[in-house]
Amino acid sequence: MLTFISYWRAAAIVLNDLASSAFYACGIAEQAVGKSAPWFIVAVMLFSFAVRAVYVESCSMFVRGGVYRVVKEALGGTLAKLSVSALMFDYILTGPISGVSAGQYIVGLINETFITADIHGWIPRAVHNLYNGTPHFNVNLTSVVFALAVTIYYWWENTKGIQESSEKALRVMQITTVMVVILLAWSALTLFKSGYNPVPLPTPQNLHFSKESLGFLRHSFPEQSLAKMFGLLGIMIAFGHSVLAMSGEESLAQVNRELAHPKLKNLKKAAIVIAIYSFVFTGLSALLSVMLIPDAVRVPVYKDNLISGLAMYMWGPEILRLIFRGFVVVVGFLILSGAVNTAIIGSNGVLNRVSEDGVLADWFRFPHRKYGTSSRIINLVVALQVLTILASRGDVYVLGEAYAFGVIWSFTFNSLAMLVLRFKYKGVRGWKVPPNITIAGHELPIGLVSVFLVLLATALVNLATKSVATVAGVSFSVVFFVIFTASEHANRKKYALAKEQMKDHFQLLQSDTVERGSLGIRAGNVLVPVRDYNTLHHLRWVLEHTNLREQDVVVMTARVSQFGSAAYGLSTEQIFSDYEQTLFTRAVSIAESFGKKISLLVVPARDPWSAVAQTAHNLESSAVVAGLSSTTTSAEQAFALGSAWEAIPEPKQQFVLQIVRPDSTVDTFRIGPHTPTMKNEDVVLLHRLWLNVTREPGLENVHHHDVLTEALTRFARDFGAHAHDEIVKELRRHSADGPMPARRIADQIATVQPEPTRSDQDEGPYSPKE
Amino acid sequence: MGHLIVTILVRILESMFVVGAIGSVVVLVLSGIEDLKLLFGMEEENHS
Repeated sequence: MLTFISYWRAAAIVLNDLASSAFYACGIAEQAVGKSAPWFIVAVMLFSFAVRAVYVESCSMFVRGGVYRVVKEALGGTLAKLSVSALMFDYILTGPISGVSAGQYIVGLINETFITADIHGWIPRAVHNLYNGTPHFNVNLTSVVFALAVTIYYWWENTKGIQESSEKALRVMQITTVMVVILLAWSALTLFKSGYNPVPLPTPQNLHFSKESLGFLRHSFPEQSLAKMFGLLGIMIAFGHSVLAMSGEESLAQVNRELAHPKLKNLKKAAIVIAIYSFVFTGLSALLSVMLIPDAVRVPVYKDNLISGLAMYMWGPEILRLIFRGFVVVVGFLILSGAVNTAIIGSNGVLNRVSEDGVLADWFRFPHRKYGTSSRIINLVVALQVLTILASRGDVYVLGEAYAFGVIWSFTFNSLAMLVLRFKYKGVRGWKVPPNITIAGHELPIGLVSVFLVLLATALVNLATKSVATVAGVSFSVVFFVIFTASEHANRKKYALAKEQMKDHFQLLQSDTVERGSLGIRAGNVLVPVRDYNTLHHLRWVLEHTNLREQDVVVMTARVSQFGSAAYGLSTEQIFSDYEQTLFTRAVSIAESFGKKISLLVVPARDPWSAVAQTAHNLESSAVVAGLSSTTTSAEQAFALGSAWEAIPEPKQQFVLQIVRPDSTVDTFRIGPHTPTMKNEDVVLLHRLWLNVTREPGLENVHHHDVLTEALTRFARDFGAHAHDEIVKELRRHSADGPMPARRIADQIATVQPEPTRSDQDEGPYSPKE
Repeated sequence: MGHLIVTILVRILESMFVVGAIGSVVVLVLSGIEDLKLLFGMEEENHS
């Protein structure tokens, strides 16, 4: 069963990653570029609106978008592997930076509480003596321990197979929103009551780079003169040190697959919510931290827990500020821990995706013996995260610097790929990044080019100024690239065809009979038989017209087998062949593009129509919607299904068969006994007979149906006796004058009565309410 | 000579950044207008 989530939940999942950077981005940026860092954070958050637009366009083209798929389509497998390596670097670092940052907030609060307690004399002398002063924890070391604990906790949870709970993500974001509202409102009050420190404008003169923030350039240029020497280059370096504030956009592509119908509209709404929220939270909290926290303590004390510092410098009683700081730490713990989980899930998702494409050895995807999860991939990801945490020694700045490498390069690859696709693939898109100017029939994607130029320029500058990131990122990417390439080479040998076909993996539930209850399908559902994965237009038609709140959609295919072949237990491969896997992959892909859920069924049977009739009967379907056969007419299809329905033992219920033609016109047939379609002259004749009958004395109360009953009774008596040959001869004569051969075939069978083709294509599958 | 090459490279990067930043502002404004229309239910689907 495929299920989907609302745009609010999708936004919450992405924000768990994106908004978490508010807790550390400004601290890192200020250490690198000085006090004007908040302006660059604001600029990055504004620019993230444009980057988001690129992701929306890519998601509108590929339901399973993301860097790997987009780059592969545009630039080929080699660059796709390179870009996904950069993305993995991003994901691997998301966990450690979030875990360590959460640890910094918690330890910061504990140490500050010790100081306050010590001032009030609440610390016992023995404890005081033990620490040679106020008790305290080593911030970085404790943060490492905390990050390891959180990472290992989520490693185990993911090994067991927890789902990415959109409900949990939504709750976390609701609590975070409460904190953000209090933070902004209280900060506004503080600005009004206590005034503020001005934030220096982002001009080259106001940039104060640290030695580390110049990376490889520190050997060539004195740090304070570089910005002045090149002017704008300084701005670019500062911008590059702030890009980690918009990390998490890739998660938008990951959740796109889960978004409910209408997918594109919901994607855009989720993207708006994400962009506005992260701008308000990350951008404004960065500005406020410099405006409200005194210079003397902002970097020395609060650089790694800036929002805690902001809480401590609000206007009002200390106890309230401490309580709010506690709340900030709780929220920080929730959202940053959530980001650790998102990082593991995201890495697992990306690596599973590439391994499905044969780019990672099958060994990695081997399911966990007990839980069935891709535990080997999870182990690999978590092992790399644990190594990163240990190597960082709890230094958020180092982690942040390295983190930016993955962020900027995965964005750059994605935007380049989208740019190439504008020229390579000129088909219909759901949405395009504006503006686009057409000159002499050639469309110039001004918007896409602009975003790409900023990303590329920043990525190149970062290569020179972030030595730690460049060395670590390039090394990591090269290692992953080599692993991917070697795996692909091995897999290509192993499965010559596998690389061409990207198939989904389905969890199979075997059952001896098809039962509605055990499948969780409501009565009155729409059954969609599928056979050829190239002709699924009828499924598209059903998804377009069906309201899933009222009707479930069940996609079934009949596995035609010879009598006795299913006498023994079938293996998974026998039940679910490669062909069916491909067929269902296409069906799921169509459902995903609509954001509507479907249920999938494989029914073994001797005859496909028998399987359809029996399944519709068992599932209590109100409609069966099939595509038009290339070899038979719709009436002949109806005849075949009607015959199969006749073979089902009583009691059985009627349903409607709708045959969807390639041009989306629909032929509708009722399967089972039903009121026949009567010609107007038949109705007139019946009425005249009824008038004549009711004129007879004592027959004034006779109804039309009484006349019909009498006529049919006489017909049945005559047909079974002396007038049989005469009636047959007469019917043959009428039949020869009939409107169309197909109709004649159907008219001969009482249970199959073709009705006029519907001309209105907007009408959907038959619903019991109709 | 080395300084000249570095200067030229830096100027190229700066030009890319400035041109891109101006274009990105246009993207921001135009997509922002679309976003507002979508939020207030006035959007026409833009199928290209």
